[in-house]
Amino acid sequence: MSDLTKQTSGEPSTIERVEITVNGQTVQARTDKPLIQACVQAEVEVPHYCYHPGLTPEGSCRICQVEVQQGKMPARVMVACRTPVMPGMVVNTETENAHDARRECLEFLLKNHPLDCPICDKAGECTLQDYSFAEGQGEGRSVEPRRKLEKRKDLGDVILLDQERCILCTRCVRFMEEVPKSPQLCVAGRGSHSTIETWNDTPLSGNYQGNLADVCPVGALTLKSFRFKARVWNLTKTASSCGECSRGCATTVEVLRKGEVTRIRPRHDEDVNGWWICDTGRFALDAFSLADRLVGTLLPSASRGWDATSVEDGLQIASDMLTTGDKPLIIASPWLTQEEGGELLALGQKINAQVAFVSTASNDLADDVLHTGDPGPNRRGLSDLGLKAMTAEEILHTASEHSTVLCIGERVGRLLGEGEAEGFNGLPTGARVLLFDCELPEAPTEGNSPIDIAIGLPSSVERVGHWVNIDGLRRNILQARPAPAGVWNTLRLLKHLHELLTNREVQS
Amino acid sequence: MVVVKRRELTFWERIYLPEIFRGLAITFKKMFEPRVTRQYPEETLPTTEVTRGQPRLVVKDDGNIACVSCGLCEAACPAYAITIDGQETERFIEREPERFEINMLRCILCGFCEEACPKEAIFMSDELELADTTRQGLVYDMKRLERPASTLKPRIDYVRRINERW
Repeated sequence: MSDLTKQTSGEPSTIERVEITVNGQTVQARTDKPLIQACVQAEVEVPHYCYHPGLTPEGSCRICQVEVQQGKMPARVMVACRTPVMPGMVVNTETENAHDARRECLEFLLKNHPLDCPICDKAGECTLQDYSFAEGQGEGRSVEPRRKLEKRKDLGDVILLDQERCILCTRCVRFMEEVPKSPQLCVAGRGSHSTIETWNDTPLSGNYQGNLADVCPVGALTLKSFRFKARVWNLTKTASSCGECSRGCATTVEVLRKGEVTRIRPRHDEDVNGWWICDTGRFALDAFSLADRLVGTLLPSASRGWDATSVEDGLQIASDMLTTGDKPLIIASPWLTQEEGGELLALGQKINAQVAFVSTASNDLADDVLHTGDPGPNRRGLSDLGLKAMTAEEILHTASEHSTVLCIGERVGRLLGEGEAEGFNGLPTGARVLLFDCELPEAPTEGNSPIDIAIGLPSSVERVGHWVNIDGLRRNILQARPAPAGVWNTLRLLKHLHELLTNREVQS
Repeated sequence: MVVVKRRELTFWERIYLPEIFRGLAITFKKMFEPRVTRQYPEETLPTTEVTRGQPRLVVKDDGNIACVSCGLCEAACPAYAITIDGQETERFIEREPERFEINMLRCILCGFCEEACPKEAIFMSDELELADTTRQGLVYDMKRLERPASTLKPRIDYVRRINERW
């Protein structure tokens, strides 16, 4: 069965199915789902605006009308999203009656909808645009002018509302009621004066506002941060996972012209996040910024600043450092994938080093919707592999017993910085520090460099691998854009280092 | 080995002069005929509204650019010559280009951008000359592409007339 037919909340233990016919095709349809899901199951496309598989159906847009014949009753046109599935239903989406009903609905929806698709950010992924292109008339029959409403209504820090574009499907109202369970939006006014409003113009609050822009089927609710930034067809979309907390929500990472990540949107994953994502994950675009990246190898210069060299030479130096001192300490970041974690563990065994990962302190963002409050997407996976979880304080304490510390992984420098600041980001001043990170560390001052070598790594939108989320579910991350030139894949880098250490062993 | 036997020249061919006089006769004749060579660049080609020169952006009479950076010309461009980034404005039309670049080295003057534009913002001008010493110099930015609507008037009228037909 396709994932689309599942609902977010409360899967019943026994799913009752009945046989119905959709466009001449026999389908085993679930009785706990509206008729539109049976059409999805039969791969028959029924247009819908107010219906969203993750929300309670309302039936306000009336665009999903299909012809249904049941028993001895004559065929009737009814909305597929509010009709329960009954045994023996004969559904036809392509009859003249059904088409007429939908076309008339569309004409009413477009009556007041502005024709500003060239300006509208939704253009290209707007179902109203798609369906009016497929079915609509070329010209409107209305002689009255379109209603004039507020084009730029501020709904807080995240969302901007264009009331003219709104088709009053109330998906946003239902979303706020049902998912974060904080009803803040309502339909105010009557008839063609109806608008989506917040009570007394209070700005929206909560960590799930960004989803409003996704649930809106037209361009009425838009993200302030994405507004007019890019056309959606210019974005390269890659299925990946969110790395902002241990939930690991399924996401689509959208990259503009192989450059910056412009937008992150939720992807449907029944067992992890349903259809939603929190704003923390959605707006974590700075973490993938191409500015201030650590590229190639940087060695502290004799005077001040950095001397750059290639990754190959850098790894040679790093292998020298790792073998000369006594038992080194390896500190991983919880952003490492399972594959990288395994390779790192093998490396640790080779040089007889203790391998630990930074157990991130939980933040106050936890809620009972999605956010677990624990940054560090692969904490569970790395623990399962056998890496020791250590808080930044514990690491500081342990590191003083080691003369060489290898810090590896995305954001590892920043995570260590959360401990007490002494030496490099809380590491003891005496130790030799090897930093493999994405972010460019602060340039060393004269004759005093806390870092002995820094090698660039790809960020989580630039590599492939698996993370295990808090519930033990293995989900993959995929490469959304190429890593900057001079950055090696983490796995390749680790394997090369392993090889160098093996060769050294053979020589000695 | 192949031996190519050279043809023996006839007597008239050998004395050479008749051919010289024949050539000179043509030269003298052409001296009195009207000239067809155009002294480009001093003398430029006449252009009409049908001329499909380089694309240019319309600046409306109120001083604002007509483009709303919808990206349709960018999508229609078969040579991937156009790059647009949008931004928000305070005007009633909420959107305008922040960056609008046409790589003139890529542009093939096909006029698809003009045809795709829903806002009458890009038109094929009568400007045909294109020269620079660097490649980067031929990536035209917004400043070099903007033209007041009055200079593009004949072409705008022509396109409107054509579009009315269907």
